[in-house]
Amino acid sequence: MKSMIFDRRSVLRASAAGLALAALPKQAAAQGLSGTVRVWTFLGADGQSPREVVLREIIKRFKATHPGVDVRIEAQPFQELEVKFVAASAQNRAPDVIWMRDTFLDLVQQRGALADLDALLSDDFKTKVLPDLYPVFVEKSVFNKKRTSLPIWPSPAQAIFYRKDALSELGLDAPPLTWDAFIAAAGKLTKSERLGFGLPTNDNSVSAFINILSGFGPSIFDAATGQFNVTSAEAKEAANVVRQLVANGALSPTLLNAMGDDIQDQFASGRFAMVQAFAPRFQQYKQIAAGYSGKDLAVSAWPAFGTRPPAVLLGPYWTVGISAKAANPAAATAFVESLFSEEASMAWAKTAGLVPDRRSLLQAPFFSTPEASDIRAFTALLAAPGVMTFPQRMPNITKVFPVMNTALQELIGTKESVGAVLERAKSTLGW
Amino acid sequence: MHAISLAKPRGLDVVAQRARLTGSSLVAPALLLVIAINILPALYGFYLSLHKVFFFGNEGFVGLGNYVELFRDPFAWQAIGRSLLFTFAALAVAVPLALLAAIGIRRLGRWGSVLLTVLLVPWAMSPIVVALLWKWILVPSPGGLVGAAFNAFGLPPQDLLTDPLLAMPTLIIVAVWRNFAFATIILIGGLGQIPRDLYKAAAVDGLGAWESFSKITLPLLAPSLLIVISMLTISYFNEVQLIIGLTGGGPIRQTNTLAYLLYHTGFVELDQGRGNAIAAVMFLINMGLIAIYIRILGKQSGAAA
Repeated sequence: MKSMIFDRRSVLRASAAGLALAALPKQAAAQGLSGTVRVWTFLGADGQSPREVVLREIIKRFKATHPGVDVRIEAQPFQELEVKFVAASAQNRAPDVIWMRDTFLDLVQQRGALADLDALLSDDFKTKVLPDLYPVFVEKSVFNKKRTSLPIWPSPAQAIFYRKDALSELGLDAPPLTWDAFIAAAGKLTKSERLGFGLPTNDNSVSAFINILSGFGPSIFDAATGQFNVTSAEAKEAANVVRQLVANGALSPTLLNAMGDDIQDQFASGRFAMVQAFAPRFQQYKQIAAGYSGKDLAVSAWPAFGTRPPAVLLGPYWTVGISAKAANPAAATAFVESLFSEEASMAWAKTAGLVPDRRSLLQAPFFSTPEASDIRAFTALLAAPGVMTFPQRMPNITKVFPVMNTALQELIGTKESVGAVLERAKSTLGW
Repeated sequence: MHAISLAKPRGLDVVAQRARLTGSSLVAPALLLVIAINILPALYGFYLSLHKVFFFGNEGFVGLGNYVELFRDPFAWQAIGRSLLFTFAALAVAVPLALLAAIGIRRLGRWGSVLLTVLLVPWAMSPIVVALLWKWILVPSPGGLVGAAFNAFGLPPQDLLTDPLLAMPTLIIVAVWRNFAFATIILIGGLGQIPRDLYKAAAVDGLGAWESFSKITLPLLAPSLLIVISMLTISYFNEVQLIIGLTGGGPIRQTNTLAYLLYHTGFVELDQGRGNAIAAVMFLINMGLIAIYIRILGKQSGAAA
């Protein structure tokens, strides 16, 4: 009988063969996927914004590993995504993958339009990737033990962007984090044609009023009903903040129905010292800065009332789901998983300046570099003690933002009593 | 000898019947399209207006509930008022402007055609593109054209779209800019039908320019003017894309017209039952306006005869 001799080379060969064999099923599965994955998102297939550039890179990488799968981006206006998706789903022409705002998740899942991701995601993803995502966002997508979507681009959503050069005029490094001090500083920042503070007051999915109210902490939302008390003492105090900002010139009484994009454009031209802005657009704000240097752009939490911690309201933010009627669920799942790969997370971070979806990546050397200082600032906000999300189920969610924005316009542009404005908002909401 | 056989003359009724058949077959495809694209959806919309429909889910029959709620809502009445203000203010600017442009363009001859082509560009553009364009023009900061113009005169930037006093007038100006050239074309056609001899005779009689205009041009242009007024009324009353793009119904509901309320209720609040009720009300108001104009046109035609 011949004795077997295991030299170093044969062991290495055997190991290599073993590894190759282990990789075979995965590769075979990847190669076995075919067809088209239709994706509805607000990002354009040919756009040049940082997030669009990254999405293109991810698709390119996905196609390289899944040559049989074509990914087709069908860009939609962001405010119409959920509505069109539910309509398309009812007509059996829904896309495979859908981008949605978290505030619409409940409505969309009630219509049965979303697949249960726990039944689709690979075991590898469920054991390694899911626990690595931010739990506060991940858990909000689970309705009655059904995982309806995956949150993407963790961020504080509506944050305060400010110009360091403007604040330095007051000897400040950052905006004060209590409303009393903030109001005083914002008033002093109004100078010549520059306004101290700019708020979007006409978006259908953003409410500056609720952001101000969030300075009272998570208790503003009733755990049972998902509502906030529109006429409470806290709401009246939030309304008084608005009135004081107008009175000291920080807010313009004639800038009443600006949308987020208007504020973005005017901030770029130097019209404001501080604004409410959508956090994932931070890099975009830097790129288009014209009235000041993009290097002077920084981000802050919202001030709080009294001694409470600074407020960070996480939402509305984007989540990604798979249609319950997806024509190609396996390939769609593989594509969705690719959005959360380590490479993808690094790309979202490096190119688009976004907090990586994968928390473990924050240990990577890149996040200690000066280049990643903005991301560190956002990550710090996510870990802030005043952090909260919108309730999973908020009644009249489609009316809440427009109604509160009209109330905000009335607070800014009229002398009507705070109580009357808030009573009208409450009555319009039927709360 | 050759026998000459004459074809039996066709009866007039046969000819008429065939003509009717030909006419019907020509009209039928268009009619079917109108039924499929306009009438059936309108009927379905009315059916939905009698139901509670939210986010594409029909939650049951509510009868006239959506209508009752609508007419109890003070903001709905305000929206009707805003629609009428927008419509008639825009008409008051657009019609005289179109008339002046039509007269000017006719006098300019060949150059007038060039000018008309230029004026028609906004009309050919999508309303939402026009809105975006004007948003950039009006942006109240150094980047905006109007902002730069104010700046040149040492004036501060003006929030033309977000100031409660200025938003509606600004919206009206943009709406007029977009489609007054269309009205101009119709009026140029109308002016072309007025015999030149009348003006010569008026000159011989010693009539001045204003008298020629008021006693010849205006009366003979009345049918064209009524067509223009009818079409613009319906166009302005139903205008929504410019409002979505420029003001979003604000500030403080100042530009919240009925058409915008319909969009907002049906497509933002997703209350599609109530949205369809607003659509039905708008349909009735449109029909009312058309009926009024047809009546006026009818009288005008009668007077002309």
